[in-house]
Amino acid sequence: MNGIQTQAFIQHKFAEYYNQNSGNIEPPTSIGTREFAFSLFRQKTMLRHKGFQDARGFQEFLKRLSPGDVYYSSAYYESPEEEMLRKGWLGADLIFDIDADHIPTACDKSHDIWICKDCNSAGHAARPEKCPQCGGQKFSVISWPCDVCLESAKREVMKLIEILEEDFGFSKQELILAFSGHRGYHVQVEAESIKTLDSMARREIADYLAGTGLEPTLHGVNTKTCVGPNLEDVGWKGRIAKGTYELLASQEELEKAGLKKVSAAIGSQGKVVQDRWRKKGPWGLVVGVGAEGWENIVQGAVAMQSVKIDTVVTADVHRLIRLANTIHRETGLRKVQILPSGIEQFDPFRSAIAFNQGFVTVDIVEAPEFRIEDTSYGPFKNQRVELPTAAAMFLLCKGAAHTTEDSATVQ
Amino acid sequence: MAKYPFAPQAAQRVQELDHRTTELESQEYAKILQRAEQRIDEAIKTKQVTLPLSFDDETELLSFPIAMMMVISSNDKSLKRTYALAEAKRAYTLLKQENRTKLVAIGHLFNWKIRPVEVYTKNLGSGALGLSLDFANYLKNSTIFHESKWKLVNRNMLSGEVFVTADEAARLLAEEVRVNIEKKLDLEMDIGLPLTLVSKVEKLRQLYTELRKLQEEEMPKEVVVESFPPCINRLYNTAIAQQHLSHIERFTLTSFLLNSGMSIEKIVECFRPTSDFSEKMTRYQVEHIAGGKGSRTKYKPPMCSTLRTHRLCPGSDKTCENIYGPLGYYKARLRTRPQETSEKIRA
Repeated sequence: MNGIQTQAFIQHKFAEYYNQNSGNIEPPTSIGTREFAFSLFRQKTMLRHKGFQDARGFQEFLKRLSPGDVYYSSAYYESPEEEMLRKGWLGADLIFDIDADHIPTACDKSHDIWICKDCNSAGHAARPEKCPQCGGQKFSVISWPCDVCLESAKREVMKLIEILEEDFGFSKQELILAFSGHRGYHVQVEAESIKTLDSMARREIADYLAGTGLEPTLHGVNTKTCVGPNLEDVGWKGRIAKGTYELLASQEELEKAGLKKVSAAIGSQGKVVQDRWRKKGPWGLVVGVGAEGWENIVQGAVAMQSVKIDTVVTADVHRLIRLANTIHRETGLRKVQILPSGIEQFDPFRSAIAFNQGFVTVDIVEAPEFRIEDTSYGPFKNQRVELPTAAAMFLLCKGAAHTTEDSATVQ
Repeated sequence: MAKYPFAPQAAQRVQELDHRTTELESQEYAKILQRAEQRIDEAIKTKQVTLPLSFDDETELLSFPIAMMMVISSNDKSLKRTYALAEAKRAYTLLKQENRTKLVAIGHLFNWKIRPVEVYTKNLGSGALGLSLDFANYLKNSTIFHESKWKLVNRNMLSGEVFVTADEAARLLAEEVRVNIEKKLDLEMDIGLPLTLVSKVEKLRQLYTELRKLQEEEMPKEVVVESFPPCINRLYNTAIAQQHLSHIERFTLTSFLLNSGMSIEKIVECFRPTSDFSEKMTRYQVEHIAGGKGSRTKYKPPMCSTLRTHRLCPGSDKTCENIYGPLGYYKARLRTRPQETSEKIRA
């Protein structure tokens, strides 16, 4: 079957989902002040500037439209249906986006495929700066969410929540946490205190989390005299101390942070140095590590402790975000809300499945190994395979497979 | 109240005065009017309203709302900003002499969540008396400051409270004062000042316009590449070396070049060598940033803080210390550049 029929099949499945589930899709708080936006099948532009007064009207609309993606504004507007300049901005939630794309991961994104737009040559792993064949700089990328990527993103979410609670004083009730439906997580703060913060203020919050612009001297670090904050200090002081303490004892971490010289100088003395921290107080001279070495260690410590958020998203006071329980067009997975206490156990390839009935036969062009619930599938290359609908939809939505003559009938 | 005439309690008096603007010409108001006029005059000439020795409290208090009415009726946005800043500077001089209890009380006037605290960092052996301030109050008033010590990431923060010294609290309060005064001045209202006052306002406005003309340097007709700040220099060189620029890098470079007076033609030319160059698209984007397409907003380049966040700041040099954005840097360097040796690009 061709691409158009594949699209029609995906659209049909999405329509089925919204027909059965739209009654359970909760609209955001303050629905009357939010802008809604939808991406549609067979149309390149988004349907934007929609407004709804109540949940029912919204859910009915969703059922009729069966969109590819559903978004709403993090912002609150006087008139959400007006064009941007006339909407009348009233405030916005604070949004954090953690995406595996922004995190160096152990899988090295070896499952991703890049294709050079100039010469069509392709390769695995994250997109290169320049095409090794023709030097071109424009690529199309097929990115795959994998367990390793999502686990790294989850670690970042846990760091984020800790800082939001401890440093910023937000309560668990104020934090809305969700799997994005693709390669990451969203954390949203709905609190009166932050609603009217402008973009500059939000950027400062983003910088705080990312450790951008941090000056160790302002946190009491003196690399010449080897003096600095202690493990139990609050905020970034404590984090600098913790990061430094951890780095000192791990040659592996030091090397990962690019500190080969420091690692060689400390050698196997790391544990001894840590022992001295605990007994005689932190910092102090370490033979072979000079001021520059310490500066590098502290820099590595900050990088380790910082949260890899997409700073552009946090600073944006007009951002559109995907609505929970709607489907991600690129994966066929749902965006799912998670309780902060449940993040550690959360399994996106189990909890985010939208299509759990029946089997579909598909022609797979190319796909790396992936997992749905307890079963691993693939890798595949140029194969016709019958798969459970969730796995088939995942490949179809990713553009890695096509439907066959049998697809529509095998339900 | 005379010290802080912008406080809500003092505003009560403004209400009373509103009903009596016709009486402003009477003899009993002469001294108050004199001080009101002086407040604006000082703002224009020295950018700071003084702490007067020669006026009584009543005059000091009542002259503030009258000066406010006069500035509002000038309809000059820039004068309004200058006046708000000058009053905030006056407030800062007074605020920094206050003890923590008084600072807390003044903070409460602006609905701040603020309390006195003592912070002791054991390992560093440093203890300090200061104040704890809600981070949202802190951010609303600190993002305008440039020094690194004001960045949230460089502060002590716990449970949503930021630790500040008494002097820092005074500075943040002064900023709150500035914003509040500016907001009040921006209100459009028909004040109906007596004629003698109208002519005084007109004279002050003229004085302001003349002084500003003297201070304003014109942008040179040609773009001086060697006065570019390090961030723009890097982007400019990347563009002409045929290398890829991200969306925000392109936006920063284009908006900077437009604001420094380079023509749209010349900018499109700068982007020509890149491998993904599409003249039509580039021209559209440049024209959009110039305010000619779409929203009709003429964009300014991002400020230093934004560039740092997006990791576009390659590290600052000495000139960077006193400026807030790439254009400020450019203007500062133009003032001190040697005239003959400049590499110029015709705009």
